[in-house]
Amino acid sequence: MKTQTIIQEATAWFNQRGWQPFPFQKQTWKAWLEGKNGLLNAPTGSGKTFALWVPIALSLKHHTTSKSAKSGVKAIWITPLRALSLEIAQASKAFAEEMEIDLQVGIRTGDTSTKERAAQRKKMPDLLITTPESLHLLLASKDFKKHFRNCKAIVADEWHELLGSKRGVQTELAISRLKSLCPELRIWGISATIGNIEQAREVLLGPGSESLRNSVLIRAKIQKKIQVHSIIPDTMEKFPWRGHLGIHLLDEVIPILRGSRSTLLFTNTRSQCEIWFQAILAKYPEFAGEIAMHHGSIDKKTRLWVEEAIRHDRLKAVVCTSSLDLGVDFAPVETIIQIGGPKGVARFLQRAGRSGHQPGKNSTIYFLPTHAIELIEASALKKAVKEKAVEDRMPYLLCFDVLIQYLTTLAVAEGFYPKEIYPEIRSTFCFQGITDDQWQWVLNFITMGSQSLREYDEYRKVEVMDDGKFKVNSRGIAMRHRLSVGTIVSDAVLTVKYLKGGYLGHIEEWFISKLQPGDVFTFAGRNLELFRIKQMQVLVKRSKKKNAKVPSWMGGRMSFSSQMSALLRDELYLAGKDHIPSKSKELKALAPVFERQQKESIVPGPEEFLIETFKTREGYHVIFYPFEGRFVHEAMGSLLAYRISLLQPISFSLAFNDYGFELLSDQPVDIEQVVDNNLFSTAYLHDDLHKSLNATEMARRKFRDIAVISGLVFQGYPDKQLKSKHLQSSSQLFFNVFKDFEPDNLLYLQAYRETFEHSLEEGRLAQALERIEKQEIVWKCCEKPTPFSFPIITDRLREKLSSEKLSDRIRKMQLQLEK
Amino acid sequence: MQVSELKIKGDHFILHPYGSAFWKERSTLLVADVHLGKAAHFRKNGMAVPTGTMFRAYEKIDTLIRKFNPDTLCFLGDLFHSSPNNEWDLFADWTTHIESDIVLIKGNHDLIPEHRLESLGIHIRDSWDLPPFYLTHEPNEDGDTFNICGHIHPGVRLRGPGRQSLRLPCFFKKEHQLILPAFGEFTGKHVLSPQATDQVYAVTPEEVLLVSG
Repeated sequence: MKTQTIIQEATAWFNQRGWQPFPFQKQTWKAWLEGKNGLLNAPTGSGKTFALWVPIALSLKHHTTSKSAKSGVKAIWITPLRALSLEIAQASKAFAEEMEIDLQVGIRTGDTSTKERAAQRKKMPDLLITTPESLHLLLASKDFKKHFRNCKAIVADEWHELLGSKRGVQTELAISRLKSLCPELRIWGISATIGNIEQAREVLLGPGSESLRNSVLIRAKIQKKIQVHSIIPDTMEKFPWRGHLGIHLLDEVIPILRGSRSTLLFTNTRSQCEIWFQAILAKYPEFAGEIAMHHGSIDKKTRLWVEEAIRHDRLKAVVCTSSLDLGVDFAPVETIIQIGGPKGVARFLQRAGRSGHQPGKNSTIYFLPTHAIELIEASALKKAVKEKAVEDRMPYLLCFDVLIQYLTTLAVAEGFYPKEIYPEIRSTFCFQGITDDQWQWVLNFITMGSQSLREYDEYRKVEVMDDGKFKVNSRGIAMRHRLSVGTIVSDAVLTVKYLKGGYLGHIEEWFISKLQPGDVFTFAGRNLELFRIKQMQVLVKRSKKKNAKVPSWMGGRMSFSSQMSALLRDELYLAGKDHIPSKSKELKALAPVFERQQKESIVPGPEEFLIETFKTREGYHVIFYPFEGRFVHEAMGSLLAYRISLLQPISFSLAFNDYGFELLSDQPVDIEQVVDNNLFSTAYLHDDLHKSLNATEMARRKFRDIAVISGLVFQGYPDKQLKSKHLQSSSQLFFNVFKDFEPDNLLYLQAYRETFEHSLEEGRLAQALERIEKQEIVWKCCEKPTPFSFPIITDRLREKLSSEKLSDRIRKMQLQLEK
Repeated sequence: MQVSELKIKGDHFILHPYGSAFWKERSTLLVADVHLGKAAHFRKNGMAVPTGTMFRAYEKIDTLIRKFNPDTLCFLGDLFHSSPNNEWDLFADWTTHIESDIVLIKGNHDLIPEHRLESLGIHIRDSWDLPPFYLTHEPNEDGDTFNICGHIHPGVRLRGPGRQSLRLPCFFKKEHQLILPAFGEFTGKHVLSPQATDQVYAVTPEEVLLVSG
């Protein structure tokens, strides 16, 4: 059947429902039908599912001929969130039914029941909606080739989300396998707008590949107006200088909730989410039953219920986290409130776009600053929205942990021949630079556990068969591997249950380990008393106590993007000048704070780099203000601490936020020496960063994920923790033994590489240092903490660096006695 | 390396940075929680611990024996991490050039059949009563005797000016008890909160230091 006929058929279906296909949808249909691969740049909730599912379904209807070509999966739809899979399944099922196309739609994620899995083993659905992890698990099944050889299409939905993560690498590897297996495969991605959208296409299709040459980039030109408002208190006296909760502005939020049909309140962390939910109910009990909470740790059933309730207009407001960033439209949502800095322009736009889906409506977003200085951020964000300054998503390179996991997956299934798989691996973006030596290292690693066999060793994982096939023969190893594939983003998590039964959600181990039985904590909107921890379960009772601890979840700390930092600096420089008519109302509201800052120190201009020093009971504080975002500050802070520590034996504790960083010590730092010795130099940057103790600590943290993904650390069986106890170990110990015994281990080195490229953002650090070298350093010796310094010095999460002897440090310290 | 000397009930104990204690009067080297074979056990199950770790414990004990020349080498339990694997051969080889008497006080991890250990000339005990001292694996505070034990893998947290903090393994001395740190490389530590009457000797790679409350 001709392309034109299919397009007409699809248009007719749209018209029947009173819709008009968007130009981007028609463009995509045409490109797909012409056999092209591509990337569709369209925002969430724009009808992107129909842009791709329509041509896939219709061409399957018209092209399927022979019987053997009928079996197995025809199309794979990859989504980053399990929650999204249901929506996509419903939309695609509805279309297939109405067009009378006989196509089965099935979901395969971590939530799929055993019964359904078994049914799928017998007969695979035609459209398989899945996550990257679950797709990899299918690669590990015996009948993989039979099930997938007729696959015609793979779609990576929300590709921008996957791109900057290791799950993106998993997707690249799965596609590389499917490309070899399925000759007719068409590869598509759907991405929101990101800075490096062209690169996103290259990563998806493979650099320099035939697939890339035969591909298109389609941009949906859907312009929605976004209105940004800041919530500014009447008087600045009420406004705190520090803090990250924003609860003081609760009263200002209530009228917004009342005036809007439905509102989403985005918080940056799950703990903040819990606190806001509690606070609204405590002060405005009339909202009971009308507001709900949604975050990643809450039980799935509850989350689904909340999502349904929003859709059906049953909720006035939902306090949520990034858990609601993605997903299908919630038509009743009219207003978004962002509590605290969103840290990035793309994220802010994405969240704004969750509102105003009614035809002709604008998106409305309120920004609620949690402390005074954050108002500058509000002002900067407004500009960013106008200029659409969106960030890049940086793809990962040479993730040996994911490669090791993938090869073990292949070995668990049918086994693999290296010479067949190697070219596939090298064709991916992530591994385009892999050397033959590194490849051999990886093969040695999975078969011998290291680069040399030693006496007395019984290492056993992947075995090399007589014909050269790499295969896992041990059932125990195969099972443990399958169990750990799903855990690519992980901290040890425990399930929270009522003593009498009833599942509440999950919680990170490190929080619960700080509690004693009898302690009360807030979780899922309830005050719970810890009864005891049994294996991987936290057993709790309801508590009536008012004072509860609120769990803080890791991962809540994000950094400014470079775009955001630049905008922020511009705003700040503007604020320092006196009579500028274009000052935003946010900056005007901040005037008292700036006056005070100016009195005690200065508000730096574009030519100035501010350093403040002062002494408090805690010690000697030195504060630097590069305004480059948390990650760059973390790197610059440890770099400077290291360089100062070369001049004198000294111990520092480091704190940083998005505006600047602090070095705190028990002895004064000679700032003139810092300036005279040119400690901001970019010379030897990489070496010095490596030597700063902090880099080791950060790499140690990165190594946690690497150890889990590569299978070094086993997290235990879901229901028999005790049996696997002898196999549990912390990644920290592994990191230490690699450091001492195998410093050339690629996984160990990868932890450092990820630290430098993804966390420390070495490239941005170098640019920032170059900028500082051109600025004039202004050193202010202050009497007491300044308004700018306050949010930094009160930060409790700190890094340490020392050049003093361990024993000298111990002598200055105190034991923590039991109280 | 700097050792620390400790006097308990008239007897002298030398605390070594490796995490062992030498009991002068009895000429006994005390070593707790070595967890031999932990690395091998992981490797056998497909987890790639570097092989170098397997030899480290033996090298450290050899160094200590050269330094103190003890009559007795006493393991305070958890000598082996789990059931026998090839580490056993390595261990059996190693014991042949140890001249001291070897005593093992059994720990919860010690699953090696007793007859195999005894065939190497190792004396096995559930506990060892050497009045006024009483040696066990798990802490035992009954009785009027002074208990020396392991099992806990004690650690300690220190805080100092300028928001500095450190976590270190330690020898933990209570009024009637001394808990040794874990000797094994591949073990974690459990941070204890000392009472005012406790004495804590922090272990650094270079020395053992008494830290005050």
